[in-house]
Amino acid sequence: MSQPMNDDVVLRVDDLSIVYQTKRGNVQATTNISFDLKRGQAMALIGESGSGKTTVSLSLIRKLPKNALITQGQVLYQRDGNVRDVLKLSKRELREFRWKDCAMVFQGSQNAFNPVLKIRTQFEDTARAHGWTDKNAVRERALELLRLVRLDPERVYEAYPHELSGGMKQRTLLALGVLLNPQVVILDEPTTALDILTQRAIIDVLNEMQQRLNFSIIFISHDLSLAAEMADVVATVYAGEIVEIGPVNDMFYDPQHPYTHGLLTSVPKLDHEQDFVSSIAGAPPNLISPPSGCKFHPRCPYATDKCSEDDPTLTGEKPDHLAACWNKDALLEAREEIARKELAQ
Amino acid sequence: MVSQTPDVVAATGQANMLDRLYDSVLNIYRNHTFRVIIQAIITVWAVVTFTFFLVRLMPGNPIDVLIEQILVQEGISYQEAYDRVAASFDFDPDATALDQYFDWFGDVLRLDLGTSITSPGTRVVDEIARYLPWTLFAVGSGLLISFVLGIVLGMTMAYYRNSPLDHILSLFASFMTGVPNYIWGLLIIIILGIQLNWFNVGALRGTYDVNTTPGFNLPFIVSVLEHALLPIITYVVSTLGGWMLNMKSSTMSVLNDDYVNVAEARGLKDSRIITAYVGRNASLPLFTQLTISIGFVLGSGVVIEEIFVYWGLGHYLFASITTRDYTSMQGVFVILVITVVFANLIADLTYGFLDPRVRVSGQK
Repeated sequence: MSQPMNDDVVLRVDDLSIVYQTKRGNVQATTNISFDLKRGQAMALIGESGSGKTTVSLSLIRKLPKNALITQGQVLYQRDGNVRDVLKLSKRELREFRWKDCAMVFQGSQNAFNPVLKIRTQFEDTARAHGWTDKNAVRERALELLRLVRLDPERVYEAYPHELSGGMKQRTLLALGVLLNPQVVILDEPTTALDILTQRAIIDVLNEMQQRLNFSIIFISHDLSLAAEMADVVATVYAGEIVEIGPVNDMFYDPQHPYTHGLLTSVPKLDHEQDFVSSIAGAPPNLISPPSGCKFHPRCPYATDKCSEDDPTLTGEKPDHLAACWNKDALLEAREEIARKELAQ
Repeated sequence: MVSQTPDVVAATGQANMLDRLYDSVLNIYRNHTFRVIIQAIITVWAVVTFTFFLVRLMPGNPIDVLIEQILVQEGISYQEAYDRVAASFDFDPDATALDQYFDWFGDVLRLDLGTSITSPGTRVVDEIARYLPWTLFAVGSGLLISFVLGIVLGMTMAYYRNSPLDHILSLFASFMTGVPNYIWGLLIIIILGIQLNWFNVGALRGTYDVNTTPGFNLPFIVSVLEHALLPIITYVVSTLGGWMLNMKSSTMSVLNDDYVNVAEARGLKDSRIITAYVGRNASLPLFTQLTISIGFVLGSGVVIEEIFVYWGLGHYLFASITTRDYTSMQGVFVILVITVVFANLIADLTYGFLDPRVRVSGQK
């Protein structure tokens, strides 16, 4: 991926590898991650817990834990024709970059607000830190955004965090996230820990906000239905690597990697009778000493000898749908078999 | 519909009124401020009553103490000495403790703390008014300095945890809390006063140099600070370690909170995060402890003031205990209890301003 960045690419992650240094050894949290995020695009990173999704997203705003070490790669960010490597920003540049260019809505935002300050103060703090001191203007913008996330703007703006419910806090945080008009918003599990109705509301609000404000979204989820609903592009992350990436429809209807396929079939279907929900056998690998070759091969039903020897690279017939697998044909056959059975039922 | 007789109507009317009265009493009781004040008053009464009987359980009474003195000094008979002492004292040793209590408590309710037993004619209130400000000054500034220092140092330790600085400060803090305050007082006299000879401890008796004129002038202020300095240092040293360690652990837990992480992701300046996000939240539990420690430090003041011959309320209390001057002792206890309870009351009523989560309805 060394071709020049097009104007419509806001964020390019290029060959990014991160290790966590622990007492038991180095944990290879992400390996050679690369992707482009286009303006207005929503990309979903899906995968099991511990697959490195959050590590990728944290590295984009350099909020990695202290024991993390970026061993190679770059994170290029483009705004108004200027391309900068986020990993090379100075401390001050980084502080200004955060939230103004790239905002992150963390997992479990129930405690995302300082309990002793009013929501208003926290909006003003954020604005002032980025050189925006006109409190009336901040207020106007904040009220508009709070209205956009379907909250009672005046009441929420003057409230303390503990006076808001979980869903209200999550929506307030979304509003705060786009206060400075960032180009990229990272959402880490934006709907976990919320009830199903609130999840619905958050998704609607996000879709509407993205249409109105035209920012790009990277969101991390193990909720495939959320990904199906929100994402334009889906990337499957396994053991710190992107094993498959492609447009949302291709990924869901034509998965090329056994892991993606496994994730999809482990979701119960509403329109079929199912006696049990299938799951992917085995557990995520130990990343201190990962398996040789394709890291998925110990759990892969289609694995051959080649898989344990050579690590496959991302390839594909279509230029925008890539998967790292040696045995795509075997998967295709298996999928056709399943489809025939379902048809026969 | 059956028509009601006037009797029934009157009865229900009365019941309604009682209900309403009951409701309004309940409402008043539910009012946080009111309830806290009532609790404070009950606390003061209970402690004052308890100490009243406690001092009477001490061996000897003011008359015995003085009789003994006169016997030793003048060599007259016991009866002679007794007559002389009893005549000059405003105290009847034969009255029961309960009678004395009701007598005295009735006076206290009329805001009269009585006169000293051992020096008749001296009003206890006047004596307390003379000594109390000095104690409040020394204890107050000692606590304030150690609280602020403790918060700053504790936060520093948390921010640089596991660094050599943190280890050294932790060691100091544990040492400072481990050594009792009266030992600190003696150590300070020995080291600063005698070994290093930085302070002329002998000349620093009392609360200010008698050669200066009390008032707003430089020599007087300097001498006041000079006299209070060593007791204040003692208060600071003996309480600082506790604040530091508490603030350190409190800060460390706040640093792990999501909102601090989010504040960093929001690109806030470090100064703002340290003060309004970390410092403010981490110091909340310490404010509760501050009110508790006011009582402890005031109590330790008795010993510290005696060690430094600092003429504050503790010094006065010590003298009263030696002569078994019941009224003076009780007067001091009343004032000490009121000070501590009042400080707690203020803390309780103002805590809501620090932490909006405990703000009760009606407080804004």
